[in-house]
Amino acid sequence: MARTIRVGIIGDYNPDFRFHTATNEALGHAAKALSVDVDFRWIATQSLDSKSARKTLERFDALWGSPGSPYRSMNGALQGIRFARERGWPFIGT
Amino acid sequence: MEYARNVLGIADAEHEESSPRSPTLVISKLTCSLVGKTQKIAITPGSIAHRAYGGKEVMEQFFCNYGLNPAFRDQINKSELKVTGVDSEGEVRVVELSDHPFYVATLFLPQVASSPGTPHPLIVSYLEAAVGFQTQRRN
Repeated sequence: MARTIRVGIIGDYNPDFRFHTATNEALGHAAKALSVDVDFRWIATQSLDSKSARKTLERFDALWGSPGSPYRSMNGALQGIRFARERGWPFIGT
Repeated sequence: MEYARNVLGIADAEHEESSPRSPTLVISKLTCSLVGKTQKIAITPGSIAHRAYGGKEVMEQFFCNYGLNPAFRDQINKSELKVTGVDSEGEVRVVELSDHPFYVATLFLPQVASSPGTPHPLIVSYLEAAVGFQTQRRN
């Protein structure tokens, strides 16, 4: 069985926004190239503007700062990015 | 903005889109919009991006109107946040943290250029880093 990599995408998902769906698809393409499964979840920025943010973020193996500014909660988005920077989680911001 | 506020100590660092009247716009409106444009980016040898692409020059697609305010470039250069990709005018297009296992931010959208047959090299490298990180955390 292939390994499952959990990716948390920091952003307010909109299925009609093509850069959001492209993010999901690109993760699938990369996972296939590496012969792993990817389990990605979008993390709403407002949910990160809270004390439980760290627990949410720790569940993932990598974090992605999604396109689509302005975020609903800039503070929440910055909390997520800060966590990745300070704690050494793999991070890409696009 | 996160780096400017929490590392460089610019507590009031703002983004022009959300706070247009702020006096400290670390992210400001580009003089020329990049929406729909494709640019050639020069990648710094030895960087994460360079290892991912396996080359010094790449073409990437942009869809943004905002970028790093050039007024803060010097301050960024002296920090651990390194500029590792610039366009033909020398404008910042990729930054990375030099004291982090994998931390890359781009002004372009690599996900748009990915397809089932040609996954984007930067995203493959990112996911590879995630695989390594998961292994490391398990042990």
